[in-house]
Amino acid sequence: MMVSRTALITGASKGIGRATALRLLRADAQVGTLVVVARASDAFASTVEELRRAAANGVEIVDVALDVGDREALVATVPQIHTRVGNVDVLVNNAGYTNPVAIHQVDFADFERTMAVNVYGPFGLVQELLHRGNRFEIIVNVASTAGMNGRAGWLTYSASKAALINMSEVMREELKVDGTRVVCLSPGRTATDLRRVLAPEEDPATIMQPEDVAEVIGVMLGPAGQFIDQQNVVVRH
Amino acid sequence: MVSLLLLNGGVGSRFLADGPKQFVVINGVPILVYALKAADGVPEITQIVVNYPPGHANTVREIVRDYAIATPVTYVEAGASRQESGAKLLAAAKHDVVVIHESARPLVQASEFSRLIASAHRNVGYMREIPFTVAPVDPETHRVTGSLDRTRLRNVQLPQKFAGDDLRRGYEYALNEGRTYTEDATMCADAGADVYFMDGSEYNIKVTTPGDMNIASLIVSRWVNDGE
Repeated sequence: MMVSRTALITGASKGIGRATALRLLRADAQVGTLVVVARASDAFASTVEELRRAAANGVEIVDVALDVGDREALVATVPQIHTRVGNVDVLVNNAGYTNPVAIHQVDFADFERTMAVNVYGPFGLVQELLHRGNRFEIIVNVASTAGMNGRAGWLTYSASKAALINMSEVMREELKVDGTRVVCLSPGRTATDLRRVLAPEEDPATIMQPEDVAEVIGVMLGPAGQFIDQQNVVVRH
Repeated sequence: MVSLLLLNGGVGSRFLADGPKQFVVINGVPILVYALKAADGVPEITQIVVNYPPGHANTVREIVRDYAIATPVTYVEAGASRQESGAKLLAAAKHDVVVIHESARPLVQASEFSRLIASAHRNVGYMREIPFTVAPVDPETHRVTGSLDRTRLRNVQLPQKFAGDDLRRGYEYALNEGRTYTEDATMCADAGADVYFMDGSEYNIKVTTPGDMNIASLIVSRWVNDGE
C-alpha cells in the first residue's frame, strides 16, 4: 500500500460520499491528497469547509465542481484534475441519481440522465484517467442492492446499478494486469437524500447510516480489502 | 538508448478473425498492446518504431493513444515482405542499437527486453531448445534424407538485439544474394556478423492461429489471477 495516496470521491457533497471523504482523512487510509467532486451547491461548499477543518493532519483537500453526468464537462475536467494532483491512486465512484417512476411514466431523457450519472460517469472517469496514463491502485464503484434484483417503480435506477455491477466485473478482469483492484459495493437501505427519494415514508434513523458504508469502504481500501473484493459486496444493516 | 522495432504489419492469413491479426484480442485487449506496454516499461527504450498494415495507420495510432504509451512512437507502413518491413523499420530508427520484436508475441516481459539490452553481445536474441525430433526430408518424394542433431538447433524467438549497422548489412546481404529470411538472427549470421543467443521463455509464444490466441489468453488470465 502506498504511504501517501491520492484519492478522488464523486458525489462528495452529501451522504455516502461525504462520509467516505471524512473517513479517508483518518491516518490509516494513508491519503495525502483528497479530491472531492460534486455539483456546485451550498451543501458541497459546506462539506468542503468541514473537510478542510477536519484535515488538520495535513491532508490536502482539492474541491472540483463537476456534474459527472455531464460528459462534455467530465472529459474537459479530468485532464485538469490529473495535471493538478498527478496519479489518482484511489477512485470512489459514488455519485448517484434516481427518479423512481413506473414504466409507463419513465421520461426517456430522465432514463438517460440516470445512466449518465450512474454508469457513464464512472466509466468516463476511469477511461479518461487511463487515457492520461493513470494507474489506479483501487477503484470503488458504489452500486446498490437495487441493481441485483428488480423492484416495481425503480426501473431506471435498478437498470443503471445492474449495469454498474457488471461493468465493475469487467473492469476487475481487464485492469488486473495493471495491478488495479476493483471493488463493487452494493449498499442496501442507507439514510441518504437519494434514499429519501426512493422511500419518502421511511424513518432514516431506523436504517443504515452513510458512515457505516464509509467504514466498509475504509476496510476495502485497507490491507484486508484485497481478500474480500472479488465479487459484488452487499453492505446491509 | 535503444529503438524498438515492432513488427506489426503482417496480415494473418491463418487467422479466422476478420482483419489483420495485430488487432486480434488477447484476454479482451488488442494483441499489439501487450508488446507496447512491455516496451513502455523499459527505460532504455526511448523510441518505438511500429509498422502497420496498409490502411490501418489510424487503428495503430488510436491504440497507442488510448493505452497512454509514453515512449515516443514512430509509425511506418509495412513492406511487402517480412524482410522489407524490417528494413523499413530500421531506416526509421534513431538509435544505433535496435531491438526487434513482433506484436504476435504478446507475452514478452519488460525484463526480457532489459536482459537483452544489458547483454554484452552486439547481436543477440532469444532462442529455445527444440524439445521434439525434427527430420530433414524431401517434401516432394516424402523421402527422409538423413538426420539432424537437435542439440545443435534452436527455435528462434523474438525479441532480438542488433547493432543497427550489422542489421543493415544483413538486409543488404539478403537483397544482393536474392535470399529470403523470415527472421534476422540467421540472416545476420549468414551475412558475416557475430550473433549469439540467450535462452528464451517458454511462455513467449508466437500467436498465429486461433488456437494460439486461446492459449495466450489463458496464460494472461492465469498470470493476472496469481496462478489460479
